[in-house]
Amino acid sequence: MKRILLLAVCLLAFSPIFAQENNHPRIPSVDVKTIDGETFSTKQMYTGEHPFIISLWATWCVPCREELEAISMVYDDWVEEFGVTLFAVSIDDSRSASKVAPFVRSKGWEYVVLQDVNSDLKRALNVVDVPFLCICNKYGEIVWSHTSYAPGGEEEIYEVLKSLKD
Amino acid sequence: MKTRTIIIALMLTVFAGSAAFGQSKLGHISGDFGFNGMYYIPDSIIGAKEVKEKVRANTWLNLNYTNGGFTAGVRYEFYSFPLIDFEDIGYKGQGLTNYFLDYRNDFIQVTAGTFYEQFGNGFTLRAYEDRQLGIDNSLLGARIRVTPYKGITLKGVWGIERKNFDFEYTKRHDYVRGLDGEISFGDMIKKIGDAGVSFSIGGSFVSKYEKSENDMYINYIDFFSEMPVSAILPADKIPENIATWAARLNFGYKGFRLDGEFAHKINDPNNTNNYIYKNGNAFLLTASYSMKGFGVEASFIRSDNMDFRSQRNISASTPLLGINYIPAVNRQYTYALLGNYTYASQPNGQIGVQAQVNYKIPKNTKVGGKYGIDITVNYARFHDVEQVLVSDAVAHQTVKGTEGYTSRFFKFGDNLLYQDVGIDFSHRFNNKKWKLDLAYNFITYNLTILQGHPSPMFKGHNVMGKVSYKINNKHALKLEIDHLYAKEDDGSWLYGLLEYSIAPNWFISVADQWNYGNDDKAHRTHYYNIAAAYVIKTTRIALNFGKTKEGILCIGGVCRSVPASYGVGLSVTTSF
Repeated sequence: MKRILLLAVCLLAFSPIFAQENNHPRIPSVDVKTIDGETFSTKQMYTGEHPFIISLWATWCVPCREELEAISMVYDDWVEEFGVTLFAVSIDDSRSASKVAPFVRSKGWEYVVLQDVNSDLKRALNVVDVPFLCICNKYGEIVWSHTSYAPGGEEEIYEVLKSLKD
Repeated sequence: MKTRTIIIALMLTVFAGSAAFGQSKLGHISGDFGFNGMYYIPDSIIGAKEVKEKVRANTWLNLNYTNGGFTAGVRYEFYSFPLIDFEDIGYKGQGLTNYFLDYRNDFIQVTAGTFYEQFGNGFTLRAYEDRQLGIDNSLLGARIRVTPYKGITLKGVWGIERKNFDFEYTKRHDYVRGLDGEISFGDMIKKIGDAGVSFSIGGSFVSKYEKSENDMYINYIDFFSEMPVSAILPADKIPENIATWAARLNFGYKGFRLDGEFAHKINDPNNTNNYIYKNGNAFLLTASYSMKGFGVEASFIRSDNMDFRSQRNISASTPLLGINYIPAVNRQYTYALLGNYTYASQPNGQIGVQAQVNYKIPKNTKVGGKYGIDITVNYARFHDVEQVLVSDAVAHQTVKGTEGYTSRFFKFGDNLLYQDVGIDFSHRFNNKKWKLDLAYNFITYNLTILQGHPSPMFKGHNVMGKVSYKINNKHALKLEIDHLYAKEDDGSWLYGLLEYSIAPNWFISVADQWNYGNDDKAHRTHYYNIAAAYVIKTTRIALNFGKTKEGILCIGGVCRSVPASYGVGLSVTTSF
């Protein structure tokens, strides 16, 4: 009995360490839409194999477009090196939602583009302003996030992806 | 309110419990915090008035606790001495504005407390928030979403709409209830989805209840005399229940998309429509086609008598208590000077078309260079709707209490509200360091109807050029010059912005908006602004000093007026 108690005390004392493995919040479960109009659950983002990136953006947001444009130039390399997928979630509401597909296809971006027309995902992620970008590990846990964009900011994203691989 | 106490007590228990166990498997706490403050300095030339409390701020804190499918959240807003533009629209007060409990799994989602929701395009219901504009149309009540079968979504809502900081919900005599259903055949039937077809249909029904016990004393601007009028509307003539319904369709196949929605509202005499009994309707049809390197999109919109509020005496000059949302579908400009002439959606009367083409001159071609050239061409034109007064209105010399007017569905009204036509180019040079953006736009803007002061039609030519130079991996410089040539209103403007950034943390900028073409020489003002921001992860600290022009602030086609201001601003936002 005493042994069990002792074990229990030890376990409790070390519990923060065990807990740390699970210290990152998981991506909230929210339904968004694909640019073809199909429902897409954020749960479909994690396959248990590769990390992924979520970028919240809008067609009317200049730094958002600059960030996605900059990443598009190195995206092929990232996919090859990390197996990463970028989900570009547009928060354009019904005013400009129909402009998203023509815009991204003309740009030739290879991202998975999704639409969050009433900002449900934005709110669930506690995002104040776009651009907002977060990196999730293969379990769907948010390990890093950032708001705003300055040219060259994509280097930091690369470093985080690299650290996830090690 | 009893339910409120219970919900808050429950959530506090959950928060306290989870905090005791730290960040363990017992769930996570997340949230965001914001502080936007300003020190005001009077300036008689731009019209920045002396304010009593010189230091003012908008502050909020959101806290959410999540464990598996379970989420609880609270928001506290402190706007007792808000920024002056928020004070002007009555967004002033403090308290727990949001509190909710939410549970969801793959089959069902149930929410009790404060929630946001949208049906279709929002024609019948859109409970949303825009913190920059001071709009928060959240509902306090309950919501249920069910997915009984793959591809089928059903929603039901009941709630009382938020009215700024008025928390006396027990004294409210108005509430909103609604149902929405959608069937997505592509999700439901594998064969259709596999064939690359997406096809869905949906419908919604929303009803507003507002008690009508007493005769109503109304003040409004008379349609005929254009003078303020006081009148009495007998209680038995005021409908207590106002219903709206809408049907929608979305179809997509290989880059082609067609989206349409039609909405209808039954008689709803209210302050925004001069208390007429005419039914309202809205229609939006959008078609688009896109492929790699090319996209085209065009739409037709019509809305007539569709302003829909929780309380019938709310004036159209405020976005307060709006239940639905009628979008302005023209392109949203990102250039500084056109922001002063943004088209505001007219739910009670607009008909128009717009189209946009995106094309990329391919990479690695003679013209396109290594990175290609992006070209966008856009066009939009909106009119008011036709209004032929009914004989009753003519006989009584007032529209109040009558059917108001009749209007042919596809007939453009006599008054042009807004038109724009524009083209822009964006090109990155071969060495990757230089980027050039060029744009030209011509806009026509009806100041009389859109801003409410009788003036000749505003016509403006806008030319914008932006050069971005990446000095090295982290340092970058941006120069933007924007010129608006016009004879009407305040005349011509020149704008310049120089921004220096050090990724990923620092931003420093200097900008000036100069009204050099104002007829009144005393008002050829420089609206300068110096700003610095420091960003680390999701925390942003920004400091600025400068002048803001009196004008309108528009986000998503919803606009409100902004008074002139001058001073020092500090903003701190973070999410965790």
